[in-house]
Amino acid sequence: MPEQNINPEQMKALQEKIKQMSPEELKDFQKQQCVFCQIVAGKIQAKKVYEDEQTLGILDINPANPGHILLLTKEHYSIMPQVPDDELAHVFMVVKSLSNSMLRGIDAQGTNVLVANGVSAGQRAQHFMVHVIPRKENDGVNFVLPQKTMGMEEVEAIGNKLIAALGGNAEKEEATPEIQLPKRPPVVPAPASEPKKIGQPKKDDKETPKESKRGIDLDDIAKFLGVK
Amino acid sequence: MMAEKPKQGCLVCQIIGNQIPSKKVYEDEMVMAVLDVNGANPGHCFVMPKNHYPIIEQVPDKEVGRLFQVSNKISTAIFESLGAQGTNIFLANGGPAGQTVAHVTVNVIPRKENDGINLQWQPKQLSEEEMSTVELRMKESAKNVGNFQKDEKKARVQAPKPVVLSEDEEEQFSRQLRRLP
Repeated sequence: MPEQNINPEQMKALQEKIKQMSPEELKDFQKQQCVFCQIVAGKIQAKKVYEDEQTLGILDINPANPGHILLLTKEHYSIMPQVPDDELAHVFMVVKSLSNSMLRGIDAQGTNVLVANGVSAGQRAQHFMVHVIPRKENDGVNFVLPQKTMGMEEVEAIGNKLIAALGGNAEKEEATPEIQLPKRPPVVPAPASEPKKIGQPKKDDKETPKESKRGIDLDDIAKFLGVK
Repeated sequence: MMAEKPKQGCLVCQIIGNQIPSKKVYEDEMVMAVLDVNGANPGHCFVMPKNHYPIIEQVPDKEVGRLFQVSNKISTAIFESLGAQGTNIFLANGGPAGQTVAHVTVNVIPRKENDGINLQWQPKQLSEEEMSTVELRMKESAKNVGNFQKDEKKARVQAPKPVVLSEDEEEQFSRQLRRLP
């Protein structure tokens, strides 16, 4: 990384400069610094296997398996939460199709789809990307997801925090567990003939649980999740 | 379209149908998310299409879009409300990829330093020639990717059909799933 060669005074000056930038200038600056933006712009070579208006799929030069693809957004986003909904949906439609191409075209027996947001999650570049990894039996890739059992109270507390952050009301949730999407981006008014709103939960009786959650049986949950 | 209705014996379908209780954190007409009580970290969520599809290739485009939009919102909520230092979005598709339940399930996992999770890999060294071969094969295989069925209100004139696996292919996948410990 170039930053490692900068002395503390230069770093301070740089940080000062960054602070004074407008959001547009900052984005341009990030783009200039970003290897993947330069790949998108064609300034750095990469083995491109898929391209459309919004995304670019290249082979990872440090692959988990041969055929490992990095699907990049052409626009610079540092992490997934910054990607607009429409673009995100498109990205994963491409991911699904590339996964299918791996099963059919390069004899993959399975695929992993992986996004890392943040250094602690294994993110190495400041550009949002999705890893699509072809898998075979005994291919030496060993992802480890340990199991940490939570108590009932912890489940409730964490669940309710998430519900609240998702725009639901954690206390009301006891009675009506249907949660709406948080603020959606402004929607262009639909023609009058199209009253159905995408993303709105159906007000359908059968989707409302009949019972409250008091009867939760942890053993049942454990039985399910133990399969994982 | 095959493989949509709740499937008997599918644990995920039973969670979605409330036959198995769970802590739901999100639900809409296509997708449900629940907390994994044996998660890799507290706050680990499963995001699942309500319809029964064993693997992602069978999920129609707009449900794929919604599935990952919701995963992203949950990831954002994890950042905001649980103080996570990072999040992973992880999908295992097929037995050799680590899939253990035959119903598409996206994992959204809160991360912090030294949490015992490993989603890294030892890079495989490929020769220039091997790299070029896989590039050509992948490019050839991906050349028809596109023409997606977007989540739009207007009907599209040439809506492409979702990918449907042949009986043989589906059987092959089920076998792989069954082989798991």
